[in-house]
Amino acid sequence: MKIGVFICHCGSNIAGTVDVAKVAEMAKSLPEVAFASDTMYACSEPGQEGIINAIKEKGLDGAVVASCTPRMHGPTFMRTVARAGLNPYMFEMANIREHVSWIGKDKEANTAKALDLVRMAVAKLARNKPLFAKSFAINKRVLVLGGGVAGIQAALDCADGGLEVVLVEKTTTIGGKMAKLDKTFPTVDCSCCILGPKMVDVAQHPNITLYASAEVDEINGYVGNFQVKVRKKPTYVDWKLCTGCGACLEKCPSKKSPDLFNEFVGTTTAINIPFPQAIPKKASIDAGSCIKFKTGKCGVCAKVCPVKAINYEMEPEIVTEEVGAVIAATGYDLMDWTVYEQYGGGRYKDVITSLQYERLLSASGPTGGHIKRPSDGKEPKTVVFIQCVGSRDKSVGRPYCSGFCCMYTAKQAILTKDHIPDSESYVFYMDIRAPGKMYDEFTRRAMEEYGAKYVRGRVSMVYPSGGRYVVRGVDTLAGTQVEVEADLVVLAVGAEGAAGAAHLAEKLRISYDSYGFYMESHPKLKPVETNTAGVYVAGCVQGPKDIPTSVAQGSAAAAKVLALFSKDQLQSDPQVSSVDLKRCVGCMKCAMTCPFGAIKEQEVRGEIKAQVIETMCQGCGLCTATCPQGAIQLQHFTDNQILAEINTLLESELEETQG
Amino acid sequence: MPILDELKAAIAKRLPELDVVIGWGKGFDALHHTPVFITSEADLDKLVLGPLSVQNLATYLTRYPKTKKIGVVVKGCDSRSVVQLLQEKLINRENVVVFGFPCEGVVDLEKVKRAFEDQGMEAARVSEASFQGDRCTLTSGGKAGSLPMADLWADKCNRCQYHDAVISDEFVGQRLERKAEDAYADVAAFEAKPLAERQAFWQEQMSRCIRCYACRNACPLCVCRDQCIAQTREPNWVSQRTGVEEKFMFQMIHASHLAGRCTECGECERACPVGIPILLLKRKNNKEILELFDYRAGIDPEAKPPLLAFKVEEEKINERGW
Repeated sequence: MKIGVFICHCGSNIAGTVDVAKVAEMAKSLPEVAFASDTMYACSEPGQEGIINAIKEKGLDGAVVASCTPRMHGPTFMRTVARAGLNPYMFEMANIREHVSWIGKDKEANTAKALDLVRMAVAKLARNKPLFAKSFAINKRVLVLGGGVAGIQAALDCADGGLEVVLVEKTTTIGGKMAKLDKTFPTVDCSCCILGPKMVDVAQHPNITLYASAEVDEINGYVGNFQVKVRKKPTYVDWKLCTGCGACLEKCPSKKSPDLFNEFVGTTTAINIPFPQAIPKKASIDAGSCIKFKTGKCGVCAKVCPVKAINYEMEPEIVTEEVGAVIAATGYDLMDWTVYEQYGGGRYKDVITSLQYERLLSASGPTGGHIKRPSDGKEPKTVVFIQCVGSRDKSVGRPYCSGFCCMYTAKQAILTKDHIPDSESYVFYMDIRAPGKMYDEFTRRAMEEYGAKYVRGRVSMVYPSGGRYVVRGVDTLAGTQVEVEADLVVLAVGAEGAAGAAHLAEKLRISYDSYGFYMESHPKLKPVETNTAGVYVAGCVQGPKDIPTSVAQGSAAAAKVLALFSKDQLQSDPQVSSVDLKRCVGCMKCAMTCPFGAIKEQEVRGEIKAQVIETMCQGCGLCTATCPQGAIQLQHFTDNQILAEINTLLESELEETQG
Repeated sequence: MPILDELKAAIAKRLPELDVVIGWGKGFDALHHTPVFITSEADLDKLVLGPLSVQNLATYLTRYPKTKKIGVVVKGCDSRSVVQLLQEKLINRENVVVFGFPCEGVVDLEKVKRAFEDQGMEAARVSEASFQGDRCTLTSGGKAGSLPMADLWADKCNRCQYHDAVISDEFVGQRLERKAEDAYADVAAFEAKPLAERQAFWQEQMSRCIRCYACRNACPLCVCRDQCIAQTREPNWVSQRTGVEEKFMFQMIHASHLAGRCTECGECERACPVGIPILLLKRKNNKEILELFDYRAGIDPEAKPPLLAFKVEEEKINERGW
């Protein structure tokens, strides 16, 4: 085999700490290397032309490019090799940038390591075989998980693009966090008024199937062909019959049920429709607080329901949906702020979260839009806002900025003045983060026009005193301690991944961080893709975002799905497992460990043998590690190739010990 | 009726439906039994049973095509190999008839040889061997010597929890219902040694391996046969090179292929001509698997072996802190 080796300078990125010319020179002495050179930018037009020319002129059978991570330019160079007339899999990449030049300054050591990686790549390439992709049909339906604004936008854009959409929402209504907000920044327009039309569009769109009060149990399959088991949780109301008239809500005697939609400010009835604009506008029973479920007696709702929709015997129902792509838009939840003992840790009734405050401000909220203290229902005259509660605070394990809190706190200060003109607002902040169109102007308006008093500093403690709360903190600009007597304290609590996000990520087989946020494929260039083909993210599921960005991501994810579905067939990755029939003893241990169900039994001349379904195989290699006799091998990563790499790396050591 | 006669009667009853029944017969001298393959009633006279019936006959089951009808006589430990083979669908339940009996244990022939040689006898020329009660009496070169059985039982028998076959179609004799404790004390004692000492131990032991593959051939669960990774060049895991690395590599592959499958019959160690304690490697794996997954191989044909399943979250391996 004639192998060409191309060492990239990457400007000074690699050449700065690796002697690239020396690596190229040394590579020439490797067995099967017929050509080696160094090049300024291998990925540039002239760089790629150089590779193509060398392949053609020297009659090379394969190429090793030593440059950056294959995640960056692997596909680039595979296309380069293909343009030179070779099979694209006759290519190997040695990562001498992320794995070498960027992590060490010792030029001699770096050069030695770069050469090691090149030697390994050459050893592997010498055992590469041409591989050919297969085509498979795809199911042009899309599953959207989460009916917040990002999910709604993604569902609508996909549906408008002609795709069938299955939208699964955990709670009984879509709308998400945005539906709970009173107003939105920086325009101070009514949140539900601008979201409402989109929610109605979802309900009425012929291409959208909505499952509210439902969750995903299981996802199997692969890009283009996922099978999804959706668990419809019992609402104890037949939604086909329910008209949303609300007669049951009026008569329900159990009025002490926790009010999830209103963030537990006040209580609600056990049978409930969360808010007037809910989609679907259907009642559902909270079995945990319903008298009928607790004591067996009551049944008032069943008696008053004019369409006889109540069904106390309702069981969960599993629906299987076949889709070709998934958009995860499950949003965020507030972190558990009760760890802040110094702010009362949840003990003081009038120390509330900003989302609870939104419900107090909202005309459809528990107070009808009148700001009242939860403890005594009095109108607060002094409101203190504390920012960064669970944001930018390593002491509670939340080092990141939640991004939107500065803006909504300014909005809430403005709204407080609107609602109670003789009130005073104090905002304790660390820095004001307002990098958006009209954002900084908005925070200035809160200060300058609405007189919100911004105090730069952290609050050390909040304690009750004579029916009010003393907020003690520091003013770092004035260099003094400050104490404010407040009637109400609002905490801008930081965001984290939605409850259950990690479990869902496991089902989707995508990565997530320790805060429950899903990992995008590339932080800059692939913001809505994940590392699992066919699975996309939109909105706060990926990290805290405000509404405009969430909506943009919803549309972006929809565009990605539409682009994916623009073809009728997809190419399968040929880097999959394959069975050597004569070695296979038919024990089927491989099928037992395969996480994708990609291995089935076949009968060959009366004997059981394993068979890989190529389009289902994801190339994880579990089967190859399971098979005792090595009869199942991952193409492009065979045992022999990996052993060759290891042996090459350890050549000198091996010679020492074995003489 | 003595157990051997009961066994012969049971085999005679089932023989017409079977291609072969595998049992033990007299070996080349009085100190050895050897497998016999019974295909007719006349062969039944060859059958013997006792503390010298050391071989695990389940090893032969996978040597036949799955369509052959085979009977096999098993000790308690051997029966676990049968269960494991069934669980892995390497044999067909309907084509195997298992003959069980209450096993008192087998001797460790190395212990026997050493003990009698210590008495000045020649263990290689034993003309008579008898096992009466708790004494073993051997005659060699006209001299007779006697030793307590307690010194001669194989280690596995001293910690045996399965004297009676865990699976059988025909069970002869009274079940012993006896159970010793096995808390892997030998493994724990070895683990307690310093790393350097353990490394030196295996260096020395493995340096003696001659790669004859007797351990593999005797193992009832080494089912790859001609495709064994130790000898193949595709994939080329172990090379022809001599050296402790290659030997150790082979033994580690053998041990890891048996992780969660090994029923600790000890055939590998018994077959080893140079006396390498390779069962210790397998018992180490089994100890870990028992602690992690609460699982013993070869007990329940329907059980799902923990290492042959894909689970996102293992109960005792808490990676995510849920």
